Amino acid sequence: MRRLAGGLLVAAATLALPAVLDDSALAVYILLGLAAMVTVGVSLLMGYAGQVSLGQGAFYAIGAYTAALLALGGVPPLAGLIAAPLVAAASALVIGTPLLRLRGHHLAFATLAMQLILLSVAGQMEFTGGDIGLQAIPQFGIGSWEMSSAAAYAYLTWAGVALVMLVTYNVSTSRPGRALRALATSETAAASSGIPVGRYKLAVFALSAAFAGLAGSIYCFYTGYVAPGSFPVLISIQYIVMAVVGGLGTIWGAVVGATAITLLVQGLNIVGALPGMPTYAPSVLSYAVYALVLILVVLFLPQGLLPALTRRLPSRVRARS
Amino acid sequence: MLTVTGVSRSFGGVYAVHDVTLGVAEGEVCGVIGPNGAGKSTLFNLITGHLTADRGEISFLGRRVERLAPHRRARLGMSIVFQAARVFRGMTVRENVMVGMHGRTRAGFVSAALRLPRHHHDEREIARAADTALTRVGLTEWADRPADLLPIGQQRALQLARALCARPRLLLLDEPASGLRAGEREHLAALVEELRADGLTILLIEHDVAFVTRLADRVVVLDLGQVIADGSPAEVRADPLVLAAYLGQAS
Repeated sequence: MRRLAGGLLVAAATLALPAVLDDSALAVYILLGLAAMVTVGVSLLMGYAGQVSLGQGAFYAIGAYTAALLALGGVPPLAGLIAAPLVAAASALVIGTPLLRLRGHHLAFATLAMQLILLSVAGQMEFTGGDIGLQAIPQFGIGSWEMSSAAAYAYLTWAGVALVMLVTYNVSTSRPGRALRALATSETAAASSGIPVGRYKLAVFALSAAFAGLAGSIYCFYTGYVAPGSFPVLISIQYIVMAVVGGLGTIWGAVVGATAITLLVQGLNIVGALPGMPTYAPSVLSYAVYALVLILVVLFLPQGLLPALTRRLPSRVRARS
Repeated sequence: MLTVTGVSRSFGGVYAVHDVTLGVAEGEVCGVIGPNGAGKSTLFNLITGHLTADRGEISFLGRRVERLAPHRRARLGMSIVFQAARVFRGMTVRENVMVGMHGRTRAGFVSAALRLPRHHHDEREIARAADTALTRVGLTEWADRPADLLPIGQQRALQLARALCARPRLLLLDEPASGLRAGEREHLAALVEELRADGLTILLIEHDVAFVTRLADRVVVLDLGQVIADGSPAEVRADPLVLAAYLGQAS
């Protein structure tokens, strides 16, 4: 009952916020939702299946470029919105086939390299607009209706977050989800229970890429502009920090982590822009905060914020979460 | 049911298993014993598919399996209880056992994400099989606890439940008694005797001679990667080669 009430409260707040926020606050709210969408995938990949990706930003970029290129080519935005996660997932299948043979640090570095390569390719190719990127991407819309207000984008974004959370919940509480958690502990024992380990790792990699691709496509319609500079490696690190801070392998944790980090970075940006601060203060502060927060969380809350908070609730409530 | 013919595997030019031939008949409990370094674990991994043989044939239920991946062999009906604790962390005891049904069900990511009828059908089947297996090994009251918090003896029982959940044709036990206290060992032996009485075919690889001779219908003795004896527990115990290689050394 309390869980249901809590869920309804969060849903009500999520729906009410776009109506009360101004445009600059809405921008933060939308980017937070997009980050949460990607982070849920990272949490599924790292927390449930035990695979690391330091290149999740690459799939965010693939989704954004896919939707942008299709929209600029005259394809209806809705088709682009659907195609983006599919193209991101397909790319993950192709890239993951050799990459997922690696484990641990090797996999982390390989995925990082994947994003670096993708960014430099996007910066060179003509059809992606080179370093300048793609501009004047049409607004999202269906038929003759065009989405022009930031509030509408906020609803679209958070509908996407809800979808991604639902899919992750459904997957994690079923046969494939148990298989993923099993192979995270022991690939040997998982295989001997009849689980095709390689195929499952690929599938979860593709699923997390699809989440990132969906977020990327909403991003491209919202900003109307994509360039390699929109998807720095730092963005991938940020997703990991969010997932770890919120609590790996918890769906709500990804959202809590994304919220905590986004608000923290926003706060620091304000501090960094105060009069008297050096010009490099905002960027230094935001880089430093990822390192600091990650170290503090790993040291003091190794399971993340959400599990640490729920542990303080009565055990009756905890048993269900 | 299981035939291993002329199988060899070397590591860095040294044979861990050399030209081993053995068979396990339907309904039989076959024990493989041998001193440390005899090649027991290598042989076990060759049968389950976690290592591939340099030479030789392995057939299971009339099918050649030496090139098949471990999960395919599992799906043909091989279930394994590992020596090292291989319970899946972050999952309850029941969820661990449910994983055993993976090879017998089909609901994938799409069925799960969209909660298709296939998902509900499979979940019901998996839950039923898991409850049966949990009852069988006596872990029902632990079902909702985190699996990694179980004592080692119950982790072994949990692995056995997971293996049984797959309704195997052949149960492979790798040093099941190692690390167990006397009471836990007795409980495990009693469970294996029950399974034997049900007609389950079992291949038992074990260091503890007394444990094997109590449970096995037939014993194969390995030494330095080769089979040095194959017969009833009584025959093997009287074999001078075995006494020299194993029992003499053990005393």
